[in-house]
Formats: sequence, structure tokens, C-alpha cells
Amino acid sequence: MRSGLKGGASGGRLRGATASLILCGPAVALYGGFIVLPALLGFAYSLTDWTGWTGTPDFIGLANFRELCSDTLFFKSVRFTLFETAMIVVFFTFFSMALAVLLDKLRVWKGLIRGLFFYPYVLSIIVSALLFTYLANYREGAVNLLLRALHLDMLAQDWMADRALAPYFIFTLVAWSGLGFFTTLYLANLQTIPGELYEAARIDGAGPLSVFSRIQFPMLLPTVTTNSVLALITGINLFPQIVVTTQGGPGFDTFTIGYYIYHLGYQKDRLGYAAAVSFMTFAALVAVAAVQVAVLRRRQVSL
Amino acid sequence: MSGPGRKRVRWPFLEAALLLAGIAFVSPCLLAVLNSVKTRPEIIQSPLALPKEFTFASYRYLFTSVKLARPMVNSALMCVGVISCLILSAPMAAYSLMRRQMATGRFLRVMFLAGLTIPFQIIMFPLLKLFRTLGIEYTYLALLIHHVSWGLPLCIFIYSGFMSTIPKALEESAALDGCGPVGTFWRIIFPLLTPCTVTVIIFWGLWIWNDFMQAFVIMGTTRGQLVFVQLYQFLSDKYVKQWNHIFAGVVVMSMPVTVLYLAMQRRFIKGLTAGALK
Repeated sequence: MRSGLKGGASGGRLRGATASLILCGPAVALYGGFIVLPALLGFAYSLTDWTGWTGTPDFIGLANFRELCSDTLFFKSVRFTLFETAMIVVFFTFFSMALAVLLDKLRVWKGLIRGLFFYPYVLSIIVSALLFTYLANYREGAVNLLLRALHLDMLAQDWMADRALAPYFIFTLVAWSGLGFFTTLYLANLQTIPGELYEAARIDGAGPLSVFSRIQFPMLLPTVTTNSVLALITGINLFPQIVVTTQGGPGFDTFTIGYYIYHLGYQKDRLGYAAAVSFMTFAALVAVAAVQVAVLRRRQVSL
Repeated sequence: MSGPGRKRVRWPFLEAALLLAGIAFVSPCLLAVLNSVKTRPEIIQSPLALPKEFTFASYRYLFTSVKLARPMVNSALMCVGVISCLILSAPMAAYSLMRRQMATGRFLRVMFLAGLTIPFQIIMFPLLKLFRTLGIEYTYLALLIHHVSWGLPLCIFIYSGFMSTIPKALEESAALDGCGPVGTFWRIIFPLLTPCTVTVIIFWGLWIWNDFMQAFVIMGTTRGQLVFVQLYQFLSDKYVKQWNHIFAGVVVMSMPVTVLYLAMQRRFIKGLTAGALK
């Protein structure tokens, strides 16, 4: 064994600590400087009354957080975000599973059909938003034109701007873009189920519904955990979708937490307060996700 | 496929039904392609019918009046830039975190892992302020730096996972030959990481090209000239939407992604599931 393998500089070759520095230096510098630092600064700013890009932040302690407790628009955003998130989590956890199970049964066109469902996921959010904005347009959109052509005029709505419908519009947009992704994760999990289980079920004469409930569903639980957490994160972080479609409208009805933070910063210039809101949201999200994972893991193991 | 013993019932109706469902599912996209070659009045009259007048006028408009070629080049350059920086920094870092003894190793691993959960809003405003302080606000450089930094946690995570498949014996023999750690990495380990690198190129190519939100926030709409930020301008005219132009724009800008997707579909899905199953 040569000495000098473990560390310390020797003979002009870079070893030990210097080498490690070179190896992870660039990544750590970039990440530390442009992600970690702003995150920490964000927390610091939340304790100030920073307003406007050229303003000077003055320390005001927890005043922002106190204000947050009585901020009605914030709570409205929270309610809307939770409502959307609930729909999104349920949809991506269960509907994707059903679709994956069906897709898994295909023999002839499996790749093609799977490809069709996955395609919207690779489109940019702006593309999906534009497509849906077109479909939903009251005067000229495809959906309403089709309804009118079928003499179903009374069903034509302003799908995007109607107070009652806007939340479902957003949900449909998110569901459409994301379905392929979540279904694919379930499909991957399905591949890991051993063929012998299916064989045994077939011998026992089990029908497809039993096969699903006794074999497939229990073995899909790890992905249920993954998908529901990812769906939760998707829901809570709803923001670009709002910017490119409803812009929080009608009125303030489709304000999500993320959009509210953006609104505070860009339209109200209240950057310190925005930082406080984002910090609270992040803390809450981590807490909820941790609970969700803990609960689901326990169910996973016990089954 | 899952094992030799699995017999499947043939469900021809299922195949047909799902095929129709799939086509219906992507119908908005098909509609966009169909309507991009119609004139605007015709779109309003009969959105679902085949075009009476087949015209490429919208596409011409995009490249002459809107000058879409420039943003496309810019977006492509941004992809190349970000991917290059990621490939130059992430695998090395993953290697040092996984394979080398470092005093701060554990701390750094946790720090990078935590980065996977941070939402963009938390850093959005302080980051902008930071760029302003550095004098690079609203520049391509700022966006590039952001995309690279933002992508590092996930990229390192992906490489770390792959790293465990490389046998330690290779490093030991390289060291015996007198190769330093950095040299060992680039000459021996990195070539073995190629499948991983390909996955990274595909995914980040997709994400950076498609990106709207971060380009919008960091570069704004006036100074930046990137593909999807330009497309967003089409939306801002709230009263009279030029659907034919919008559709042509959507088709053109999604073309690279669509081509990539068709060519690499299997890889996409494999890359996704490999990461997710961990």
C-alpha cells in the first residue's frame, strides 16, 4: 500500500482536502450563494418592514407574523389553496392509479396509449394554460362553440371567469398536465409485482376486481405515499398556473398562497411581509408533509 | 412485464376504449395544430372542422413580425449553458459527497437534500435583491446562475443514486497508478456516469426550455427574450385574442420538446421511474 492514499499533499498531486474542495467547491458555492443565502435572507427579511426594491428594511420583530394572523386575504388564499390541493391529491392518488391499472392490462398499443397520456406533461405550463384559456373562452372557445353547435346553448359558460367554475378550471388544468406523470409512477410500481401472484390468482379463479384489491392495491402503497406527497406539494405550490390564467380572479377568488406572495411583492411592494408569509407556508408544508408521510408509512408497513 | 408466469386476459375493448380516451386526452394539442393553419375567422366559426383555407400565414407572422427566431435561439443557448454548468459541477460534488471522507460531508449531504423541498417563493424576492446588489439583475447571467443553483440538489441526488453502482475497486486501482482524486474522477468515474448524464441532459433540456415562471420573475418581460415569456405576451391582450397566432406559436415552441419526446419517450419514462422508485 502506498502512503499518501488517504490524504495530505504529496508530490505535487492534489490529494485530501484540496481535492475535495475542488470537487464539491463549485456546486457548494453556487448552491450556498444563490439558494441557501437567499433562503436565510428571506427569513431575516420576514422580521423587517422592507417595502419596495430600494427601500431599507428596518427590524420590526414579529410584527409581520402578528399581522398575518388577522389577514383575511391570506386566509382566503389558504382556503382556496387547500380546496384545490384536496382535489388534486385525491385525483392524482386514485384516478392515476385506476388509469395505471387499466394501462397495465394493455397488450397491443400499450406504448402508444401511455405516450398519449404522458404527453401533456412535457408541455410548458404556458402552453397548457393557453390551450385551456382557448377552450374555456366564452365567446370563441371550442367548448362553448361545440355546445352551441349541439344546440346546448344554456350550458355554455365562462369557464374561467365564473366565480363558481374558476376553481374547477384551475383543477382541470393541473389534472390534465400532471396525469401522465403520476400514472407513470404507478405503472413503474406495477412492473415490480411478481408474475407468480397473478398466476396464483388466476388459478384460484379470481376476477379482475379481486386481483386489484388483493394484489395490486396493497403493493402500490409505496407509490400512494410518494404520489400523495408530490400531489400535496403541487397543490400548495400552485402559482404559475394562476399567473398565466386567472391572475387570481375573478376578484380575489383564485388567489393561492403562492400567488398571494407574488401579489404582495409585485403589486404591493410589501417584501418583508411577503417573506413572512412564505416562511410560514413553508413551515406548515413541511409539517403537513411529515405527518402525511408518517401516517402513510405506518399503513404501508402494517399491510 | 412482471415475471414469466403472468397470463393476461385479452381485452380488445379496453385497447380501443383507451386509445380513444388517449386521443381525446391530447385533443387540445391536436386542436392547436389544426387551428394553426386556419385563418382567425374560420377558427371562430368552425374550430373542429378541417380547414377550408389552408394557410401558413400565422407561422409567417411569427417569424417576421414577432421575430420568434431570436427567442428560440436564446432559449436553446440557455439550455446549453445550464446543462454544461450542471454537468461540470454536480457529478463532482456527488462523487465527493458519496465517496470521499470529508469533515463537512454529512452536513453538506443534508443541506443539499433540504434543497429539494424549498419552494421557489421563499427565495424569490431575496434572490432578486441579491442579483440587484451584484448588478446583474434582469440579465441572462442571473437566470443561468439561478437555473444551475436551483437544479443542483436534484442533479446531485440523481448522480448520487447512480454513483453507488460504480465499484470502489476502480478508484483504488487508479490511486495505485498514481492518479489524484480529481483526475480519478474525470478520467474514470465520469465516463461511467454517462447514462446518468444523458438523463440529466434530457430532463434539464426539457425543463429549461419549457421554463416560464422563473424566466418571468428573474428576467421580466421587457428585457428578456425567451421563448415562453414571449408567448406569454400573446396572452396579455385581453380583449382580442389572435387565436391563429397563439396556436402557431404554441406549435412552434413545443416542436423541439415534442420531437425530443417522440424520440426519447422510453428514456424519459425510465429516468422518471428510476428516480421515483428510490
